[in-house]
Amino acid sequence: MNVLTGSADNSCRLWDCETGKQLALLNTNSAVRTCGFDFSGNIIMFSTDKQMGYQCYLNFFDLRDPQQIEDNQPYLSIPCNDAKITSAVWGPLGEFVNAGHENGEINQFSAKSGEILKKAKEHSRQINDIQTSVDLTMFISASKDNTAKLFDSTSLEHIKTFKTERPVNSAAISPIMDHVVMGGGQEAMEVTTTSTRIGKFEARFFHAAYEEEFGRVKGHFGPINCVAFHPDGKSYSSGGEDGYVRIHYFDPQYFDFELEA
Amino acid sequence: FNPNWSRQMTILQESRSAPGFCLLKGSFSFHCHQVFAPGGFCYVSVNWSKSLVSTNSILMLPLYFLVCLFFVCVFVFAELLLDILREKPQEADGIDSVVVVDNVPQVGPERLEKLKNVIHKIFSKFGKITTEFYPEADGMTKGYIFLEYAAPTQALEAVKNADGYKLDKQHTFRVNLFTDFDKYMTISDEWETPEKQPFKDFGNMRHWIEDPDCRDQYSVIYEAGERTAIFSNDAKEPITAEERARWTETYVRWSPKGTYLATFHQRGIALWGGEKFKQIQRFSHQGVSLIDFSPCERYVVTFSPLMDTKEDPQAIIIWDILTGQKKRGFHCESSAHWPIFKWSHDGKFFARMTQDTLSIYETPSMGLLDKKSLKISGIKDFSWSPGDNIIAFWVPEDKDIPARVTLMQLPSRQEIRVRNLFNVVDCKLHWQRNGDYLCVKVDRTPKGTQGVVTNFEIFRMREKQVPVDVVEMKDSIIAFAWEPNGSKFAVLHGESPRINASFYHVKNNGKIELIKMFDKQQANSIFWSPQGQFMVLAGLRSMNGALAFVDTSDCTMMNIAEHYMASDVEWDPTGRYVVTSVSWWSHKVDNAYWLWTFQGRLLQKNNKDRFCQLLWRPRPPTLLSTDQIKMIKKDLKKYSKIFEQKDRLSQSKASKELVDKRRAMMEEYRRYRETAQQIYQEQKSIRLELRGGVDTDELDSNVDDWEEETIEFFINEEIIPLGDL
Repeated sequence: MNVLTGSADNSCRLWDCETGKQLALLNTNSAVRTCGFDFSGNIIMFSTDKQMGYQCYLNFFDLRDPQQIEDNQPYLSIPCNDAKITSAVWGPLGEFVNAGHENGEINQFSAKSGEILKKAKEHSRQINDIQTSVDLTMFISASKDNTAKLFDSTSLEHIKTFKTERPVNSAAISPIMDHVVMGGGQEAMEVTTTSTRIGKFEARFFHAAYEEEFGRVKGHFGPINCVAFHPDGKSYSSGGEDGYVRIHYFDPQYFDFELEA
Repeated sequence: FNPNWSRQMTILQESRSAPGFCLLKGSFSFHCHQVFAPGGFCYVSVNWSKSLVSTNSILMLPLYFLVCLFFVCVFVFAELLLDILREKPQEADGIDSVVVVDNVPQVGPERLEKLKNVIHKIFSKFGKITTEFYPEADGMTKGYIFLEYAAPTQALEAVKNADGYKLDKQHTFRVNLFTDFDKYMTISDEWETPEKQPFKDFGNMRHWIEDPDCRDQYSVIYEAGERTAIFSNDAKEPITAEERARWTETYVRWSPKGTYLATFHQRGIALWGGEKFKQIQRFSHQGVSLIDFSPCERYVVTFSPLMDTKEDPQAIIIWDILTGQKKRGFHCESSAHWPIFKWSHDGKFFARMTQDTLSIYETPSMGLLDKKSLKISGIKDFSWSPGDNIIAFWVPEDKDIPARVTLMQLPSRQEIRVRNLFNVVDCKLHWQRNGDYLCVKVDRTPKGTQGVVTNFEIFRMREKQVPVDVVEMKDSIIAFAWEPNGSKFAVLHGESPRINASFYHVKNNGKIELIKMFDKQQANSIFWSPQGQFMVLAGLRSMNGALAFVDTSDCTMMNIAEHYMASDVEWDPTGRYVVTSVSWWSHKVDNAYWLWTFQGRLLQKNNKDRFCQLLWRPRPPTLLSTDQIKMIKKDLKKYSKIFEQKDRLSQSKASKELVDKRRAMMEEYRRYRETAQQIYQEQKSIRLELRGGVDTDELDSNVDDWEEETIEFFINEEIIPLGDL
């Protein structure tokens, strides 16, 4: 049981979940933006930022080959010359990685050859976060263009769009209901121009099929940076710029709620 | 593109071997191209820097700078020289500086000297008279004279100011330029009928009024001005009537009766109308920044700070809308108090105020009423009655003459009421919308005090002798507004956070009664419904968009709400709906407009990317007579039933539509999920393989692997005394 972390201290680290012991250290030339294990847990990928003259790269290491770790030599390193990668997730079977870029593009990179298998240009501005559904068949992308979009993981077909009036920082798909949750707000530096009233920043719930908002949860007094559903779908958590992580458990009415159809 | 370019290029290249020389050559071409071929300029720069580098000498840089400076100076000097040359006094070739004065008294030789003195006194105001000629016949002057000035500009001044000068009862001077006679004499006797213009049929210009559901239209500017759209207002959601990119360059204006939409462009304004918003008319006025319509929609006034010359006034132009003709141009020093020209309610007159003068013009001649302006020493402000051709104006205190407000009837110029005011600091004129009342807000410093108090002087226009009643206010006034169609007014007074809203009723018996006062209000603006009775008190901008909906028939607060950071409030022309909006021009986020009912019930929230402005399309005055309106009000119950039924039908239609839409979306989504699930099941074996045979598809797939452990830990200790045992 391992944990993979990437940081702006120019390194990606592997840890043992039970003991907390660091198992591997991979140094990079620039900040590590996003990382993840494939379905088997044997291959890791992470992306580095375009910084200080260094390009953005998407690197792949096979954990079964200790030589790669020791030499800090990924078996595959894909350069991204234009817009850097801002968020990425693995496909359902570890064959490819779906990456979101600074310009709103989503590219599907093969984990074997490194070539781009599919492209999707649906968002107009930076993609802030990508999260998969629990079965990895689809993912939701949260973007600065005030929308979140649902895509099929394999075909990159654009399925649904959820519209708001503020940039969306993070979105997640419920494991048990046809719901998605989104959190956002404003750029940290623009916060003073928006409402400074207590609890104005809300997590918003949309129906995945109808694309309609059906609920909001107030509480954060700063922009929400990250949202996630509990794997059992009975609660969700949100973390915000205000320095708080909030965990909410759903009332029974949440599971019975239905929009008239 | 300069054809000599290639030749000069080769010269540059050839002289590269001589760096110093190249420097001078380069800079000369540099300037040449700046003036003649801007395209070539860029290219020269590139080559220029290349040759700099090739000279390999940094010492050249200051020299280069000095040379450039030299050439810049030469050009600037040349410009100045040209300016001076232009103003050089020209030797008059005579004719341009001569004026002819008619209607001069015919006198004999004994009174000639006196006449000449009088003429001289009057006409030397405009310049130096170099020659004068008094033609005679039979021992008397003929009745017209010739005067020559030192310069043609002086002659023009004389014509402008002395023409129409009343010397006495029988003699009013007519002054003309000598050259004008020539000009008018050479006009051909042949009359050419003007060419008949083909009739441009713009269709039904009142098409929007005929909407069967009586929806009003409004214009919306969004995307920071890039897009303008016209919507029909429906309670459910706005219906797009028209949407265009770059329709206007700055903002838009509706004409007073809603017939035209005016858009602004660098070269002038355009008017659009009819069912499809075709272009009706175009007015060319370079750099136009402000416009105003006459209330009858016959004329439009445009202002541009750019084009104005002494001979041909172009700052303000009045146009005839139907023909597109320029009717008259005026000078304008500053546009600070637009509109400079104020129209009478029927469009018969328009007036403007300049230093100590009130100039009233009449239409359609565009000439001064009675051929002269009114001299009103010290006039500070004036305003037309919205119901009659009456002007109200006020002058401040002058030595021992108190300040006063005067009501003047036009065109007779009869002063129908004068009111003296004492210790006045400032006055503001507020007319009630029908012209039934005038409120003059007077700020005074009473004798012996330092502070400023405010009185409202209420003039009852419909009563004989126009009686005036006074309402004294103790706090400072933030806002004042008359009820349109009614006899109430609302005042916001006090200082934040103790702002009060007071409602007064001007009764028939001469009393002005305070109906109600609400205290501790978050409001800085008053918005009455155009039909009266209802109003919104709003705290805009810095007060964060607090809204209060009031019914003034019994002064109750119907609803208190908020539109955070609202910058504007606009009632629709029927008084049924209110729009509050957050404009991108005042706040860069959350730009949207919200639709409320007149009772304060929120109906819609419309977000628009970088929303800037919403303006309701005005309605023309009703064609119904007062009797017909009475009849309709009597039968209102009958009509209500029909409307309610219609509403119910459309509501259920809407819900049915929504339900159908949702059903379709769900079916589509289900189908997609089923296909995805199928593929997922087919891939199960691959997943098992990837995870070494462990099934992780469900949370409880490998529940045998789970260990359950119960842990207890200490939270809190509470000691409860049980009393004496």
